[in-house]
Amino acid sequence: MNGTAKRIRNWLEVRVGLDELIRSNLTDYRVPSNINLFHTLGAVAVVGYLIQVITGICLLIYYIPHADHAFRSVQEIMTRVPYGWLFRQMHVVGSNLLIAAVFVHMVTIFLMGNYKRPRELTWISGGLLMVITLCFGFSGYLLPWTQLSYWATTVATSIPTAFPVVGDFVSRLLRGGSSVTGITLTRFFAVHVSLLPPLFVFLMVVHIALIRRIGLSATPFGRSDEEKRPLTEFRKKLHPDGYPYYPYLLQKQALMGILYFVVMFLVISFAPTFFFPEEATVPADAFKTPESIRPEWYFLAPYQMLKIIPNKFLGISLQIILLAVFIFWPFLDTHKEKNIFKRPVLRGVFIAIMIAMVILMWWGRR
Amino acid sequence: MRRRTFLQSLLAVFGAVSVASFAYPLLRFLAPPSDANRDRKFTLAKKDIPIGTSRVVLVNDKPVIVINEQGKGYIALSSVCTHLGCLVGYEAAKNILVCPCHGGTYDLEGNVLSGPPPRPLSKVPLKVESEQLVIG
Amino acid sequence: MRWYIMMLGLLLVFPLTASGDYREEFEQGFLTKTWSGQQPEENFCIECHSSDKMKPEFLTLAEEWKASWHAQNGIACHDCHGGDPKDSSMSMSPHRGFVGKPSPAEVPEFCGKCHIGILKNYMESGHGKAFRSSGNGPNCVTCHGSHGIQQANIDIINEQRCTKCHSYDRARAMKQALFLTEKKIGELAADLLTLRKEGVYIEDQRKNLFSIQAEFRALFHSVDVNLVKDRTDEFSHKLAAVEKEIVSTRQELRSRRNFSAFLLLVFAGMGSALYLLTKTPKE
Repeated sequence: MNGTAKRIRNWLEVRVGLDELIRSNLTDYRVPSNINLFHTLGAVAVVGYLIQVITGICLLIYYIPHADHAFRSVQEIMTRVPYGWLFRQMHVVGSNLLIAAVFVHMVTIFLMGNYKRPRELTWISGGLLMVITLCFGFSGYLLPWTQLSYWATTVATSIPTAFPVVGDFVSRLLRGGSSVTGITLTRFFAVHVSLLPPLFVFLMVVHIALIRRIGLSATPFGRSDEEKRPLTEFRKKLHPDGYPYYPYLLQKQALMGILYFVVMFLVISFAPTFFFPEEATVPADAFKTPESIRPEWYFLAPYQMLKIIPNKFLGISLQIILLAVFIFWPFLDTHKEKNIFKRPVLRGVFIAIMIAMVILMWWGRR
Repeated sequence: MRRRTFLQSLLAVFGAVSVASFAYPLLRFLAPPSDANRDRKFTLAKKDIPIGTSRVVLVNDKPVIVINEQGKGYIALSSVCTHLGCLVGYEAAKNILVCPCHGGTYDLEGNVLSGPPPRPLSKVPLKVESEQLVIG
Repeated sequence: MRWYIMMLGLLLVFPLTASGDYREEFEQGFLTKTWSGQQPEENFCIECHSSDKMKPEFLTLAEEWKASWHAQNGIACHDCHGGDPKDSSMSMSPHRGFVGKPSPAEVPEFCGKCHIGILKNYMESGHGKAFRSSGNGPNCVTCHGSHGIQQANIDIINEQRCTKCHSYDRARAMKQALFLTEKKIGELAADLLTLRKEGVYIEDQRKNLFSIQAEFRALFHSVDVNLVKDRTDEFSHKLAAVEKEIVSTRQELRSRRNFSAFLLLVFAGMGSALYLLTKTPKE
């Protein structure tokens, strides 16, 4: 047996250079010695995304993307199909956890100042990944075709109408007509399972390739040589005195990945209806508006902001500008100082934004 | 060193258990549904349903109405009204199915003619074999 | 720095274009389109019957109806009275099927347009026979009321109401015969609603229960105590089957929680082992 394993190993070694591959990616790849748990959040997001892919494919086997059958097929997955509930719960709870993980990832990167040069592109690709993750959440929400999903989508797809000239067209394009119908369902389905995944994978590959190419930043908190030197030539950030990626960081990442599972099953075991309010078991009905309609928690803040700004056009353009500011932030923040504790204005703005978001979310929940 | 080996084997055991506890549900999830309860058919003698009458029989625990329509022969439909689940009855004079609860009416194809039902009645396969009707 | 200026410029430019004629238009568009799918329905029946010109005795009808079980289930004026609620000039035209207020003799047929099974049993009952022979016996509205009709329950049978015409003895016997089955139906309906709150799709069971309840209540309308007593067993069996399903659903929910908790423990164990391993030096 040992001989066979060795032969396979050798077979691979002479063809793809296995030893060198392992060495350059695991042991010779060095990470800064002051790396912390927050550096594992990207890996946690990858784990979360993989869970979504696998459970999503499982659900796809029994799901029927048609207005007459979608609700029924989802309920069959929940009640009839053996362990269908497990995969659906993992997919639903996972989607919320994933967005939370991505969000925390982004906030910590921001706080550590790691979006600064030369890592602007990494930040932008990450920001786009976050937008796509939210699009996943938005398009997937309609698919069970429940009262909750139907009306939340009706509200959300009406938001572009606040925009002049093209707004109506955008809304109609999203809905595939003047209201949310079976046409909208198949559109959202196509976007959710065939348009977004390849886009996401592409951006993820770019994101990770950039991290590996540029090298991990030696922060947290403080300027390193890469910020001090004039940026005239490419120089990969190596950490000759750092720790090897394996086992040092990989173990940390695995630990956080397991924690992700623990939180997921904590919710599924003890709060199985956390993401399933009562309207989630009532089929979509275009003639009956439920009493309270609100989007998912991660859209609550922008939704509430749109609600309280009296001029809807101002509200929506403000949000587009905020999104642009968020994505292109590395180009706007040209200050050399990386440590946020030495930048009281930025720190104040950051805290204000966080507080505003929490208030808006709480307010949006009513 | 012994502590390390122990922890490594413990980790391997947990890993194996976790893989197994996803593999089993996945297998069950993908396995085709058993048709032990599915294909139980119901057999009925032709003479039990004279022309212009109907009978309700239970096929796989679901009520099915079998109608012998004048000039058209035998028809089998689910007799559960799609509105609130009451059992529809055959009205030979008008040749329609009527729900006693809220007056929904269906034609003998199962299509909704009037009233609150949101969907047509589903059809149940029926085969005529010499003197027998095989339903389901 | 020029980025800041450009962005600030954009920030200012966008709202400026909104402040003109657009503003009102878009806000209105946004507000009405939000719930598109449901157009605010114009109903001339309600409009006139709520206006000052209406005779006072007709003025309360709309309000009564709005609080009724019919209204909650989407049954509006024209579903019973015919006519056209969308056309003010023709709303009460016989050409649009308007029938207005039924005479007392017409009441059972009027309600029986929809409640077919109940009508049949009622007509053959003591109540129905008395009504047909005198043209003025107890009919639907005697017990259920009309516009303000509420979901029926067993307390509609009460001394005050029944003794208007006859002694309460037989009514009491009937109420007793109904009591246990009615109570069971109520309990099962409540159980199903609890299950729905726990995220279970219960529509099939609910329909089944409704069908049993409807059949049982149709039986009651024969006002034949012996008939109800004779068939109570049959209904108990049907209700027991529903209850069994509810119990097995509860079991299923429990086993799901257990399985998920097991997975939780496996991952917690895996995490702890890995953590301890990272804290154990190699040699």
